[in-house]
Amino acid sequence: MDEKETHLVELVLGGQTEAFEPLVTPYRRLLLTLAYRLCRNVEEAKEITQETLLRSFRYLGSFDRKRSFKNWLLQIEMNVWRSLGARAADEGTLRELAARNSTEDPGERFSGKEIHEKLLACLDGLSPREREVFLLRDIEGRSIKETAGVLRTSEISVRVHLSRARVKIRELVGERFPGLMEGGR
Amino acid sequence: MNCSRVRRWIPLYAGADLPIRKARRLEKHLGRCIDCGTELKELKAALASVRAIADQGILDWPEAEWKGLMARVKSEKPRPRPVSPLSAIPRKAWAYGLAIILVLGVATLILRRLLSPPAASLLSEIVTATPAQPSRSLKTVEALPVSDPRDVPFRVRRSRLEPLDRAMLAAGSAPEKTTQNLMSMILVSQETGLKVHWTFNRNFEWKEKKP
Repeated sequence: MDEKETHLVELVLGGQTEAFEPLVTPYRRLLLTLAYRLCRNVEEAKEITQETLLRSFRYLGSFDRKRSFKNWLLQIEMNVWRSLGARAADEGTLRELAARNSTEDPGERFSGKEIHEKLLACLDGLSPREREVFLLRDIEGRSIKETAGVLRTSEISVRVHLSRARVKIRELVGERFPGLMEGGR
Repeated sequence: MNCSRVRRWIPLYAGADLPIRKARRLEKHLGRCIDCGTELKELKAALASVRAIADQGILDWPEAEWKGLMARVKSEKPRPRPVSPLSAIPRKAWAYGLAIILVLGVATLILRRLLSPPAASLLSEIVTATPAQPSRSLKTVEALPVSDPRDVPFRVRRSRLEPLDRAMLAAGSAPEKTTQNLMSMILVSQETGLKVHWTFNRNFEWKEKKP
C-alpha cells in the first residue's frame, strides 16, 4: 500500500468521507470488469461492485495497512460475488448464454463483439472456483500467492484449480474457435 | 519420463507457474516429444486469445452512476476499528506464549517422571491354609483358622500385622499339601501399607459373615 493510499485511508477514518472517492477511483474499472467476467451480466456486475464499495467503506477501519489495498478490494469483491452473484449467475444468465452458444454453428464467422462474447463465454465452462482463479491469475495478472491471499486459500489449491481451468479453456476454445488453435500450431 | 506425467505440468508451465525444477524436466521432454510440444502451443494460443479479448472488454461506470454510488457510500459511516484487548496483542506474542506453554508442559511431564518414585507394586502373597471340608459355602469356623478374625477388616496398621504375615507365609510353604481346599491371598501396598486379605475355597466362593 502506497503512502497516498495510506493517507487517504487515514482521512476517511478521520471523518473526511470525501477522501473515499479518490481512494477507490483507480479501481472502479477493475472492480466492475472483474465482476462482469465473473457473472457475465452488466447489471449484476454493477450490484456486486456497489456492494463491494459499500463494504469496503464500512469495514475500512479493520483494513490492515500492511496489505495491498487493491488485493483487499478484490477479496471483498470475491466474497460479495460468492454471496450475491454466484448463485444467480449460475442459475440464470450463464445458463441462458450457454444454451444460446450451443445452438450456433461452430464454423460460423462472428463479428468482433460476438467473438468477444463467445470467448468470454468460455469462462462459463469453468466451476466458480476455477473461474475466480483463472480471472485473477491469467486475466488480472495476480501472482499465485496474491491469488491465494485474495481467495483465502492455499497456493496448492490455486495451482490445482488453475491447471484445471487452463485445460478446460483450451478445450472450449478448441471446440468453439478451431482457427485460433490452428494458429498456435 | 512419460507423456501422461508431463502433460499434467503443461497447463502450469504455459503460464510460467511451474516450479523451476519441474520446468527444466518438462523442457527436456518437450525437446524430444512433438505431441507434448503441440499440446503446449495450443494451450498457450488459447490462453493468449482469451487474454487478448479480455483486455479489450474493459467496462467502466457511467459518470452519473459513479457519482450516485459515491454519494450513497459517503452517506454511510465507516465502522470503527474493532478494539479488543486480545486483538491488541500481536500474533508473534500469541505464538511465543503458546510455545512457552507447550515447552513448560513437556518439561513438567519429563521432570515428574524423573523425580517421582517408581510406582509401588502390589506384593501378592499367597498363603496356603489348613484344609477345609469341600463344600459349596464355607462355615465361619472353617475359614477362620487362616488368620486372626481381627485381620478381616481390610484397613489394618502395618506394624500390627507383620508377625502375623510372617507366620502366614511360613504356613504357606508346605509343598507336600496336595489337596488345597482353602486359599488366602494378601495384597500389600508397599507405599501405603494397606493390606487386603481375601479367603477363597476351592471353588473360589467367599464366605459371608453371619452374626
